Amino acid sequence: MTEPVQSPEAKPADPQKGRIARMWIHAAGAGLIVAALGALAYESGFIPSRQTAQDTAGHATAGFFQPPTDDQIPNDQFGAAVRRGQAIFMNTSTNASLYVGNGLSCSNCHLGAGRQPFSAPMWAAWVQYPKYRSKNKQINTMEDRVQGCFTFSMNAQHSVKGGPPPHGDDIYRDLESYFFWLATNAPTNKELEGVGFGKVAKTELGYSPERGAQVFAANCAVCHGGDGQGQKDINGRYVFPPLWGASSYNWGAGMARIDTAAAFIKHNMPLSQPGRLTDQDAWDVAAYINSFERPKDARQKGKTIEETRKQYHDGDQIYYGQTVNGVLLGVGTPDPERPVGAVD
Amino acid sequence: MTADKSPRKDEAGRPDENFEPYELHGKMPWPLMAIAVGLGIWGAATLFDTREDVAAARNERVAESRVATAASTEPGSALFVARCSTCHQPDGMGVRGAIPPLAGSAFVAQGPELVSTILLRGIDGPIRVGNYNFNGHMPSFASVLTDAEIGELSTYVAHRFGKSSETIEAAAVAKLRGEVVDKASFKGGTEIASSTALELGSQPPFVAQTAVSLSPDVSTMIFTGRGEQWACASCHGDLGQGKENVPRLAGLPAEYIVKQIDDFHSGRRQNESMKIVVASLTQEEKRQLGEYYAGLRVPSNAKPELGGDLARGEALALHGDWSRNVPACFSCHGPSGFGVAPEFPALAAQHASYTASQLAAWVGGHRNNSSLDLMGRISRALSDADRRAVADYLASLPPVPAGEDAQIARIGERP
Repeated sequence: MTEPVQSPEAKPADPQKGRIARMWIHAAGAGLIVAALGALAYESGFIPSRQTAQDTAGHATAGFFQPPTDDQIPNDQFGAAVRRGQAIFMNTSTNASLYVGNGLSCSNCHLGAGRQPFSAPMWAAWVQYPKYRSKNKQINTMEDRVQGCFTFSMNAQHSVKGGPPPHGDDIYRDLESYFFWLATNAPTNKELEGVGFGKVAKTELGYSPERGAQVFAANCAVCHGGDGQGQKDINGRYVFPPLWGASSYNWGAGMARIDTAAAFIKHNMPLSQPGRLTDQDAWDVAAYINSFERPKDARQKGKTIEETRKQYHDGDQIYYGQTVNGVLLGVGTPDPERPVGAVD
Repeated sequence: MTADKSPRKDEAGRPDENFEPYELHGKMPWPLMAIAVGLGIWGAATLFDTREDVAAARNERVAESRVATAASTEPGSALFVARCSTCHQPDGMGVRGAIPPLAGSAFVAQGPELVSTILLRGIDGPIRVGNYNFNGHMPSFASVLTDAEIGELSTYVAHRFGKSSETIEAAAVAKLRGEVVDKASFKGGTEIASSTALELGSQPPFVAQTAVSLSPDVSTMIFTGRGEQWACASCHGDLGQGKENVPRLAGLPAEYIVKQIDDFHSGRRQNESMKIVVASLTQEEKRQLGEYYAGLRVPSNAKPELGGDLARGEALALHGDWSRNVPACFSCHGPSGFGVAPEFPALAAQHASYTASQLAAWVGGHRNNSSLDLMGRISRALSDADRRAVADYLASLPPVPAGEDAQIARIGERP
């Protein structure tokens, strides 16, 4: 027999090698513990996270007042009013049919059934009224405020009744019941985070409808249509609301102001991608959308456009009474032949 | 730490026959302990981190079941909310200029039998309700509701909105079903009025759509294939009804179909089979294909098949999940998922496996043809379970416009 081959087991262990291996295992174990403890500390909020403003725009409802969910609507007389109010809010042209002169619903701008922060959530609005408003230079109750919505945003002048629901109408009772219920447990007379549409910082370039046209084509037209007239399904039901023209809000609406529209767009559009547009894009596209003709300001009545501009729009970021691309804006779309929603 | 596990030997050096190998407890090395403890802490941290999600998900499920039962305990009310309210609204008031109201409708007031017949056949033509004309596109529920469900629903609707005290039982619905199985959707209010001896007021006339004229070449391509291209119908079915992972094409917007063909060609939508068959299509052929499939009226052969949570799927479709910036499917694809041409396809009656596979394709980067990456972002925001839930829910919806119920059954009889 020749010299036996030494089996590996028999070979004396290299003490140095074992130590290194053990060291690696120890290090891995200790590292894992450190990582786990670190993760725990991070998750429990001991370490401040670097969440940017962009992130808050992306995480729509976290960190804001939480209104109740629909399953919490009580099954009593009040709950019935809340449900009616919600039905008006979601389907305004049907449930307040006589007072809606365009193709919009409350829920087109107050997203998430009036719950979405920076989409003028109703829980935040409810706790701010009564309130002095420079728009009409008087103390406004919630009913006054909602009457304004019908007058301008819902273009009531072209509705069957030709104006907003009269004071004391059940429409206000039901809508206010819904808002009040949404604000369950919210502190009264306090400006809650997420109120209104937020603000967009002014940019160096200002705003331009020409640049806005590009932004619109790239980001908005897919839903609202290249002509901004929204889109309907096979039954003729608006799926995407019209942004200008006869079926949209009139010149007296807050959304006709470029700063208001820019804030709404920046925080909410395109749907599911808030914060996608830069501040500059938001300004420009808001200017573009509001550089088209729409129903006349409901307050104009017998006055000229210039008088109306001076009285109601002086100092506003709005094209009302201005000439854009050679066209004087504020004249209004032609009055409909018969009221919107009149019987066929 | 080490135990002598080799068999003992007797004086002669032979192994002990009775020896049983055994093992002593060795001391566990501390790094192993450390790893275990570390993993334990990690696990606890994860549980702690996701406790809000878990609670939210549980509350959502509880809320869903409560919505279905709390509003009213009358039989049929839950079905009404699930099947009718996205169009006719929870209060039955419809939508001005688009969806007829049920409340005060002369049709509903005729009682549950007419309501059942309409549910079974659907409507596909203009109808006058109250003082208004409507386009009148309503799906047929024959393929998605049982006789008992249709009976319950019709009784509920006729009672709540039509002040009818009549009821209809499952057996009577089954008889109706047999009578209408060969009939397509009502061609508007005129056909409903003429098929009954009832007083339903004057109804707007039905104007038949002009049939799509297929060139012989395109017809050959669809049904028998052409050269290297196999027939469209070999996968998508004779009626464009699709199956499993192959989409239903019937009723999709024509422009949407053309866009998808272009996207398969350019690779924005990756699919080897489709890439081959669309390679040589001319613009005119694409247009004809799109219009042909858009015009097909075929009942649903889709059904939930992924074990998804239907209540969660319904919540996503109707309300979305705002905490993740996921809007309701229906806020873009139209109430009830009927689609909005040209960008937003119909989702109703689409096969669950196909819908789920497309959502996964957006996540995985195999489909990149959604404007603004809308669907890419939404798909990534959804969990795998959510994607299955919503796909299953959409498969449970009836298509619009519908066709005759007997169509699908007849496919098997063809030679």
